[in-house]
Amino acid sequence: MSGQAKGRIFPVVVISLFCVVILAGLFGTLLPSMNYLPVIGHTHVSLSVWFDFFSYPGIQTAIRVTLFSGLTASFGVVCLGFLFITFSYGNALWKFFEKILSPVLSIPHAAFAIGFGFLIAPSGWLIRMVSPKMTGFTVPPDWIILNDPLGISLSIALMIKEFPFLIMVTMGALGQLDIKKTLLVGRALGYTKEQIWLKILIPRLYPHLRLSIFAVIAYSLSVADMAIILGPSSPPSLSVLILKWFNDPVMSFKLLAAAGSLFLFFMVVLSILCVYLIERSARVFLRPWTTSGKRRSFLSPLKPIIFFMGSGILFFTAVSSVILVIWSLTWQWRFPDFLPTAWTLKLWTKGLMSSFDPVMTTLLTGVASAFIGLILTVGCLEHEVAAGKTRTRNYTGYIHYFLYLPLLVPQITFMAGIQLLLVITKMDGYWITLMVSHLLFVLPYMFIALSATYLAFDGRMTDQAMVLKRSYTSVLFRIKLPMLIKPILFSFAIGFSVSVAQYIPTMLVGAGRFSTITTEVVSIASGSDRRAIAVYALIQQFLPMMMYALAIIIPKSLYYNRKGMQV
Amino acid sequence: MKSFFLILFGLTILSSFSQAFAQDWGEIEAAAEGQTIYFNAWGGSQPINEYIQWAAKEVQNKYNVRVIHVKATDISDVVSRILVEKAADKKTNGSVDLMWINGENFKAMKENKLLYGPFSQKLPNYHLVDIENKKTLLSDFTTPVDNMESPWGMAQLVFSYDTNQVTKHPKNMLDLLAFARENPGRFTYPSIPGFHGTTFIKQVLYELTHDPDVLNQPVIPSDFEKNTQPLWTFLEALHPLMWRKGKVFPTSASQMVSLLNDNEIFISFSFNPNSVSNAIKNGELPNTIRTYIHTNGTIGNAHFVGIPFNSSARQGAMVFANFLLSPEAQARKADPTIWGDPTVLDTQKLVGQDKALFDAVPKGIATLTPKELGQGLPEPHVSWVKALEKKWLETYSK
Repeated sequence: MSGQAKGRIFPVVVISLFCVVILAGLFGTLLPSMNYLPVIGHTHVSLSVWFDFFSYPGIQTAIRVTLFSGLTASFGVVCLGFLFITFSYGNALWKFFEKILSPVLSIPHAAFAIGFGFLIAPSGWLIRMVSPKMTGFTVPPDWIILNDPLGISLSIALMIKEFPFLIMVTMGALGQLDIKKTLLVGRALGYTKEQIWLKILIPRLYPHLRLSIFAVIAYSLSVADMAIILGPSSPPSLSVLILKWFNDPVMSFKLLAAAGSLFLFFMVVLSILCVYLIERSARVFLRPWTTSGKRRSFLSPLKPIIFFMGSGILFFTAVSSVILVIWSLTWQWRFPDFLPTAWTLKLWTKGLMSSFDPVMTTLLTGVASAFIGLILTVGCLEHEVAAGKTRTRNYTGYIHYFLYLPLLVPQITFMAGIQLLLVITKMDGYWITLMVSHLLFVLPYMFIALSATYLAFDGRMTDQAMVLKRSYTSVLFRIKLPMLIKPILFSFAIGFSVSVAQYIPTMLVGAGRFSTITTEVVSIASGSDRRAIAVYALIQQFLPMMMYALAIIIPKSLYYNRKGMQV
Repeated sequence: MKSFFLILFGLTILSSFSQAFAQDWGEIEAAAEGQTIYFNAWGGSQPINEYIQWAAKEVQNKYNVRVIHVKATDISDVVSRILVEKAADKKTNGSVDLMWINGENFKAMKENKLLYGPFSQKLPNYHLVDIENKKTLLSDFTTPVDNMESPWGMAQLVFSYDTNQVTKHPKNMLDLLAFARENPGRFTYPSIPGFHGTTFIKQVLYELTHDPDVLNQPVIPSDFEKNTQPLWTFLEALHPLMWRKGKVFPTSASQMVSLLNDNEIFISFSFNPNSVSNAIKNGELPNTIRTYIHTNGTIGNAHFVGIPFNSSARQGAMVFANFLLSPEAQARKADPTIWGDPTVLDTQKLVGQDKALFDAVPKGIATLTPKELGQGLPEPHVSWVKALEKKWLETYSK
């Protein structure tokens, strides 16, 4: 096997970019955690920062809360996701999910948390619906629902928000398994549908989802925006503490923040390792069960519960958005009124006028980073296909180890280090650097979204075209990519929405020179006006939704006259 | 005759002084022309953002200085960025030209030499500033200002209550405790660390400690327990009677506004005597909210604008800072229907049109008179902040 498949430049570029950036970022965080930050006069390398970290008041609780809320959310959402596929694959609820997945995914985390919080709070919409008539409450009851010290409300909200993401990745991966035939054969052998899923399909599905599940774990452990709104307050979860330390006016707290974020990274790595070991041992211990030949399912009673939870997730997501719409039109709205007592369009006019420039910056950055992301993703995948064909070294295979790092390393852990690096090299505050920093987060999600379908593309199509004496490029651009237009546009929309959501990179790398709709949302959300917050959050939500809509409409209108392309 | 010469002599010196002054300023204005400055300021309030937009437009028209408002969620983010720039030895073209700042952030910037200055004495409008009566303009949270930041506005702790729910508002901390006993779950304060929460416990300490004078001095660790004991006893009694029984705290002062609007709490507080009037005007709060302060006064302080050491548009920044001090800008800012941020100027010094501007400022519907507000208690020595926060965290954040 001599020679190398073409296009290896793509994986090489991607890998070096990710490697350099993340290592540099981690290094920039490691030094201050070892008490080395000369600019504030700390030059003696020592472990004192770590002692301070572990003796910070409430740190044990903060760590416990983080682990509890993050791991229950991840565990819950994975179980729920698998059971949901098992029970509803192919039925009406599943199809409905397929249709509305994009708008659901495009809801920003913070916007969802605000809506969800207003829904379930003691002064929230659910209680307003029945007050004061049924409850007698003229003022809200003093119950702990939100911000509970254990982090249960945070954990539930995370589950609701992560569920659609997991389903989306699953839908992508399902294309690679022969579901219909497996189900058919299984049924013929007398297995119930649930047993076929649990014993055959899910074990085969899991490897495709592994990295996404790791990303869910990492995200749930390091989430900050949702934790501020829904998580406990004293002490808060570790990620919120880290943010507080970063923002503390006393400079030496920056050292503590660095140590904290490294510890958070360590927690993420450890959790992922545990999950990997569980997966390994499950393979061994569950084998007798999968091969026992028992056909009956003990899970059937769970079916209505899973349906209920699946619809519940949709309900909560939808109502959280409706609440934002109502708030954005509110002038006055107090407890226990079910609807505002006075309405206005004033906040919309103000919001739309002042958000024009930020929206333009967001569009430009989002489209540029998603476009470059697309080129890199397709390039890497083409290399993988070519390597498979020529049986040469597949560099894209290594990508998986690096590409997902930005999703696994808590953002704050390495972005602060990168900021320092960019300022030193005088590269901060430029649009191009900002766009590349978005690309770091855009690319992995695009890769997740596209790779399964792309690699499953029937190579005989291109072979046939090549046989007809077409050049490789022309086959790629005239046959393959047009046929894959739907998943390509879909991953473009995902990449765009990831770029829209970036806050920390925009602030740290952009040096305050660029305001996007998300920086506007976050800054207005630091104030008290829920009506203005709702307006900005809805504008923020509208951008990705528009992109998802285009991803659905464009293929439909392009191929309205081709039966084979109507899926 | 002798005195005539003396006066003449004095006048000559004075005029040459002011001439030099004007010349200096003229040069600064000339250099500022065409500059673009990045004004980093908290962006969480639409009325404030709109005011900054207005001021930016004025300076653009009058002095040809372009002001871009960089909306920060927390100004300490910006301090961090400047620190990073210093660490990277970026001595010019810093990303920030002017920033809204005070208190601990000012102290941190001053100590780490992140500020340009002294400069505020060069601003022509600075002579209108009421430094005689407003002591906090010279000593920001007990850190000497030394002209390293230019005054912008005044603040004072003011309680707000819903007249629908509370007929007689408390007049001191013990009253507040009695209120909480009668209305369990209807008062709270934001979590600590955090400016508003910490201010609340400082206020408690002021009212209850045996010897308030020690608060003006740096903390003496050996006496800390003794001096602060009344505070912890008070909180021990208050917490079980608070919102969520003191197990959950609001994350910010902003959340307190929502809680008050939602009837979750009946008494709240803010750091701007006009904020309730402003919130009523723009519909955020109902017309039933009013404000009060405690009989023995409440903590007051001031906020400023400062120029980072590495700004390359400092002349533009100074022109903008000077405009922010003008009677026109200060009167507009004091208007509760626009923002309602109390002025730093000595309105007694103003004459003619400038005076008329302030006379025309309407009194907010829920705003106390200057007489009712009084002078405001000085901030305790800055070392108390971390000491109180540490003890609070050790006791209540486990």
